[in-house]
Amino acid sequence: MNRTVSSRISWWAALAVGVAVIASPVVAADFGPVPMLKVDAKKAALGKRLFFDARLSGDAGVSCSTCHIPEKGFGDGLALSKAYPGSDGFRNTPTLINTAHKAAWFHDGRLGTNLNDVTREMITETYVMNMDMRLMQERVKQDPVYVKMFKDAGYGEPSNGSVRKAIPEYLKTLTSRGSPFDAGKMSAAAQSGFELFKGKAGCSQCHSGPRFSDDTPHNLGVPENPEIWSNPARHMTYVAFGMFMGIENYMNIRRDVGAHIRTHKADGSDIGKFMTPTLRELTHTGPYMHNGVMKTLEDVVAFYNRGGGDDINKDPRIKPLSLSQEESANLVAFLQSLSGQPLTGPEHVWKDPINVNYAVIKDWLKQKN
Amino acid sequence: MKKGKTLSHAIVAASLGIAGLGFGFSAAADVNPPLAALGMPPVPRDNPQTPEKIELGKLLFFDSRIGGDASVSCADCHVPKQGWGFNDPISRGYPGVIHWRNSQTVINAAYLGKLFWVGAAKSLEAQAPGAALGAVSGNGERDMVEARLAFIPEYVKRFNQVFGDDWPKVNNVWKAMAAFERTLIHNDTPFDKFMRGDRSALSEEQVRGFQLFQGKANCVECHNGPLLTDQKFYNLGVPRAEDWSESGLAQITFRYEQLAKGVTEKLYRKIKDDAGLYYRTKQKSDMGKFRTPPLRYTAYTAPFMHNGSFFDFDEIVDFYNEGGGTNEFTDGVMAKNKTKLLKKLGLTDEEKADLVAFLESLSGEEIKMTTPKLPPYAPLPAVVQAN
Ligand code: HEC
Ligand code: HEC
Ligand code: HEC
Ligand code: HEC
Repeated sequence: MNRTVSSRISWWAALAVGVAVIASPVVAADFGPVPMLKVDAKKAALGKRLFFDARLSGDAGVSCSTCHIPEKGFGDGLALSKAYPGSDGFRNTPTLINTAHKAAWFHDGRLGTNLNDVTREMITETYVMNMDMRLMQERVKQDPVYVKMFKDAGYGEPSNGSVRKAIPEYLKTLTSRGSPFDAGKMSAAAQSGFELFKGKAGCSQCHSGPRFSDDTPHNLGVPENPEIWSNPARHMTYVAFGMFMGIENYMNIRRDVGAHIRTHKADGSDIGKFMTPTLRELTHTGPYMHNGVMKTLEDVVAFYNRGGGDDINKDPRIKPLSLSQEESANLVAFLQSLSGQPLTGPEHVWKDPINVNYAVIKDWLKQKN
Repeated sequence: MKKGKTLSHAIVAASLGIAGLGFGFSAAADVNPPLAALGMPPVPRDNPQTPEKIELGKLLFFDSRIGGDASVSCADCHVPKQGWGFNDPISRGYPGVIHWRNSQTVINAAYLGKLFWVGAAKSLEAQAPGAALGAVSGNGERDMVEARLAFIPEYVKRFNQVFGDDWPKVNNVWKAMAAFERTLIHNDTPFDKFMRGDRSALSEEQVRGFQLFQGKANCVECHNGPLLTDQKFYNLGVPRAEDWSESGLAQITFRYEQLAKGVTEKLYRKIKDDAGLYYRTKQKSDMGKFRTPPLRYTAYTAPFMHNGSFFDFDEIVDFYNEGGGTNEFTDGVMAKNKTKLLKKLGLTDEEKADLVAFLESLSGEEIKMTTPKLPPYAPLPAVVQAN
């Protein structure tokens, strides 16, 4: 994988974002509904169709929605994601709900520019959709439905550039709504869980703001998922990733280095840091953590209650909490209250069947390409 | 990662090298190198043949894990039972796409200094990555190839033995494949036997065809030397592939190839045929030119020409008898592009039959091979943590 200039730049941009966030301390008042984003309806509708169309991948067999499934909160319900045929994934598929509100993406935060770049990354990445953008453009151009939709959306003729604009426009429609927390309809248990969250349990030190995330990587000592290292199909994907990202000694490590690929600290103190994820929509998006090692929210709370995992570089704020059983249950109830209505209606899901057989352009010799 | 750009750059680099080589030859006096029996292929000094390397190359040639989705091997488009090519006019492609040219046989590719229909690679070592990584052929990617091979203990062992690699290196994949291809040679045809002195190897009919080939039909103008090719480029007026008017899938690839080959927007809009050598040189006068193919093993490799327009030798001979044909690059202002070397031949039916009989003498026994048993994946052993 050739390291491109743009991906280098994006790491720096990601760093810059991290710094900016640390510089502005988060206050409790930051919690609250995630604001809806202004979207261009026609562009978003086009992006929606593209998101559900497998022809955007090299073998025309994988769409964004293969891994980001609406019914699973736009995750996939698996501990570790699938990959493009030929291997398997080594990370948990994150939810895409509220992703348009972020400024650095992926579990390691390696992309810090914009969703246009994230979209390109997903489409072209060998182990995700393995697509040559030029071939994608010509496939899209072959479909009369797209030709019309691109035109109506003001993009003119279908192009790879406008695909990378339309999909992010669609992603902007995926904003949480209707959670008991936002509606002020939390149960008493959830209410006391919220107090613990901000107080005794110390969760809000990292899970802050409307999305409950500081968008910064931390080391919690989350254990490795042994499946990655015992299953060649997953391990090889990590090796390919390691080669491209310049992970030192990539053949001989058996751990996901996380944000180290951005910061490359010589002492390795940044190994094992992962981005704080949003806590919204958790009831739809398990298993949890970057590698899906925790099946339930009870497991997650028990993990924090124990003081996290074992790691010399563990964040000092992660320490045993001595939560009672009831307190733990309340904390779980609070986390559950952060999940809203599933985004599974036609507003968010392309419901019409997509005719994936490419119609022939009639009278081809007389038509302009 | 970051697909696309890499391949086209590689091809540009390769083609520059070739352009440099090509010209020296054409300056030489216009004497056609004589037809002759075929010897052994050249072996590059930096990639000597060894039995272990050849065996490794054979496994890799048949191993679909080199391709993007681990379902397409070299042997899927260079099928031993289909003349080590592919029997459709236009080759199958990577899953979800179709190719846009006829799949060439790999038999005797070892002798060629200009590979592919437009000579875009100058060695087998340089050709293989184009085939394995191109979006409409292998759609593979270097890091992923290396990563997959590292999980096949048998390969780790063999790459170590053959190349001294700690972990299999992708450049050595191409070297091993090339070494294997250098064993896929066909130099014991009736024609070769004849040229080595066995006068009974050709029938009378074939001998007459041989004379026509060198005389009245003037095939030898381009199909000359021991390989029966001058490895130069001509526009014969081979008609455009019908597929492009009839199949949406083919139309997609056609346009994709224009982008991949870096044509101007203006040309992209109007082009309706494969411009051949033009994509490398960007000279209008090269539009529609393709490399003269070698003619051995053709009894097994139909359909013929860069787009598979012709299904048998009779059609080929009729085509030449008419002085070739027409295509998008032989009309009007482009008329100069068609080679002046083709003229109506005025062959009688008997002469045509003789010529066909001679073409048949350029193929001997079919080269058969079954898919070898491929070694499986296995997990890597745990290691002691360094950090
Ligand atoms: C094969 C499964 C798969 C497919 C297909 C896929 N993704 Fe993803 N996606 C993932 C995984 C896994 C991650 C996390 C990767 C990481 O952290 O390294 C991810 C991350 C993302 C993120 C970042 C989320 C965040 O909060 O950091 C976005 C945005 C995204 N994908 C959008 C898309 C889009 C748009 C498409 C289609 C063009 C797509 N994905 C196709 C599996 C997939
Ligand atoms: C030091 C910062 C920090 C603190 C404090 C913290 N978290 Fe986290 N949290 C993270 C990070 C980082 C991750 C992601 C780790 C990973 O992916 O390996 C995470 C992941 C999670 C997840 C999994 C989300 C998902 O989609 O996978 C949940 C649930 C969660 N935290 C809840 C809590 C609760 C409850 C508390 C308080 C008891 C808490 N966190 C305290 C940083 C923190
Ligand atoms: C999807 C089908 C496909 C696959 C897979 C494929 N090829 Fe090819 N091959 C072709 C086609 C079509 C051509 C002619 C292409 C052109 O000239 O543009 C070709 C040309 C060649 C040539 C040139 C022969 C000559 O006379 O110049 C060689 C050598 C070759 N391929 C070897 C390989 C090897 C080695 C692999 C595996 C790494 C491979 N091919 C994989 C379809 C394929
Ligand atoms: C002016 C040079 C030239 C002359 C003269 C010529 N050929 Fe060719 N031949 C070519 C080129 C170039 C091609 C490939 C053209 C293409 O694919 O567009 C070709 C293709 C062929 C093929 C198809 C091979 C394959 O693998 O697809 C055969 C068979 C053939 N020629 C036989 C002949 C015979 C028989 C004659 C004499 C009647 C002849 N050629 C005269 C240049 C020539």
